[in-house]
Amino acid sequence: MDGLHMVGIEHAYGNTNVLNNVSLTVPAGELVCLLGPSGCGKTTLLRIAGGMEKLQAGTVTIDEEIVAEPGHQLPPEDRKIGYMFQDYALFPHLTIIDNVTFGLFRMDKAEAVKRAMEMLDLVGMAQHAAKHPHMLSGGQQQRIALARALAPKPRLVLLDEPFSGLDTNMRAKIREETLMILKHTNVATMMVTHDPEEAMFMADRIKVMGDNGKVLQSGRPADIYYKPVDEYVARLFGPMNHIDGIVHNGAIGSSFGDIKTDDAENGQAVRLLIRPEGVVLHDGKGTDGGTPVDVVSAHLLGDSSIVRCSLREGANKGAEFQVRIAGAFDAAAMGQVHAHVDPRHTFVYPHDKQ
Amino acid sequence: MVEITRSFEIEVDIIDDDHRRLVDSINEIIQALNNEQFELCAQLVPDFVDLSKQHFRREESLLAKYDYPQTDNHIKHHASLDDKMETMLALATKVADSPPAAEALRKELIFFMMDDIINEDMDFKSFMVNATAGKA
Repeated sequence: MDGLHMVGIEHAYGNTNVLNNVSLTVPAGELVCLLGPSGCGKTTLLRIAGGMEKLQAGTVTIDEEIVAEPGHQLPPEDRKIGYMFQDYALFPHLTIIDNVTFGLFRMDKAEAVKRAMEMLDLVGMAQHAAKHPHMLSGGQQQRIALARALAPKPRLVLLDEPFSGLDTNMRAKIREETLMILKHTNVATMMVTHDPEEAMFMADRIKVMGDNGKVLQSGRPADIYYKPVDEYVARLFGPMNHIDGIVHNGAIGSSFGDIKTDDAENGQAVRLLIRPEGVVLHDGKGTDGGTPVDVVSAHLLGDSSIVRCSLREGANKGAEFQVRIAGAFDAAAMGQVHAHVDPRHTFVYPHDKQ
Repeated sequence: MVEITRSFEIEVDIIDDDHRRLVDSINEIIQALNNEQFELCAQLVPDFVDLSKQHFRREESLLAKYDYPQTDNHIKHHASLDDKMETMLALATKVADSPPAAEALRKELIFFMMDDIINEDMDFKSFMVNATAGKA
């Protein structure tokens, strides 16, 4: 099957294992994102796929050609791989067209220039062919890096935190363009990032990595966000409110009422996690009055607001929690503020009190 | 289309045969999607899910028979795929009215087969190759 297939990859730096029997597949035309914190081994895995790191154990296959196995390492330049890095890695002394033709050394000059111009046109940069990298913005340089990565018609594209160096607006624009172009070229793509939002936006499938390169969860972005396998994965997407408790009659008692769960046995100690966007603030005039709360602070972030609230009454009076709402929060317009929990944004995991 | 080429083989005949049957089933579904035979697709996906569950039970028995030390973890992994199978069943009911559902189903089937089933089975490949050779 066309695409990247890595099987049984193990890797250590000295006595420290960074990858422990990792296997993954990136079919042609799909984008798989390795998401995890610094040091989880995601970049090492990418470098092994690219041949920049020597394989220690396992097999790397691209389009059914074994490119690395113990005793056999195809050099990076012979693997037909395109790369995009955070720092663009353009040659500062070469013009844009020379940067893009650099990897086309197997073509004759005229053919290489034609191909490079096609790629520059694809990324909307053909008019800048004669310039040098320093004359372009970060976003433009990353477009050139994409053109250079795709020019040799790679079998695989590797993206290593490619948008981290760009400012917020440019990052959103460039990643959308990059995704569109990668889908258009139908190439297998593996990307590493520590940014969950970026992974959610770009990936057909996300592989969440934890310590020692262990893959904690694989799935569609929606699976990772709505069905995280454990507390670690759930917390990747930002701060969480949590309530520790015991399951009774299939539910966890909380200040927001009993919250049903099928994920734990009666009598089991659990931790209930609630995403800030899973708490709904309202005026309490609906059929379910909700839990009365006081607003401690509200911060407008642009398209959403973070509102810190505290419970007004009950056994946990004064306990604070965080809420994310769309747009601006107007406490004065709401009057008495009440809260209830949207169960789609709640997760229950076994919790041993230490 | 999906195919089991050498790099995807576990080298345990019973398991590889199961994987091939599952891949044949997926390819039938993809063919149905390509031909816009959405009713057929809606019938084939439950069959694929049943076939997957049968494969999981057969594989779990085999791992237990050969005392694979991570058998319990592999059983847990299979259990964790229930949600994905439910997702595929739900998508199959929507493909006629929703091109995005058809595309999502196609992707999910391929990743489910290659990543969730075969790649996870790679964990026991060397153990089972040795174990089955020793008891042959």
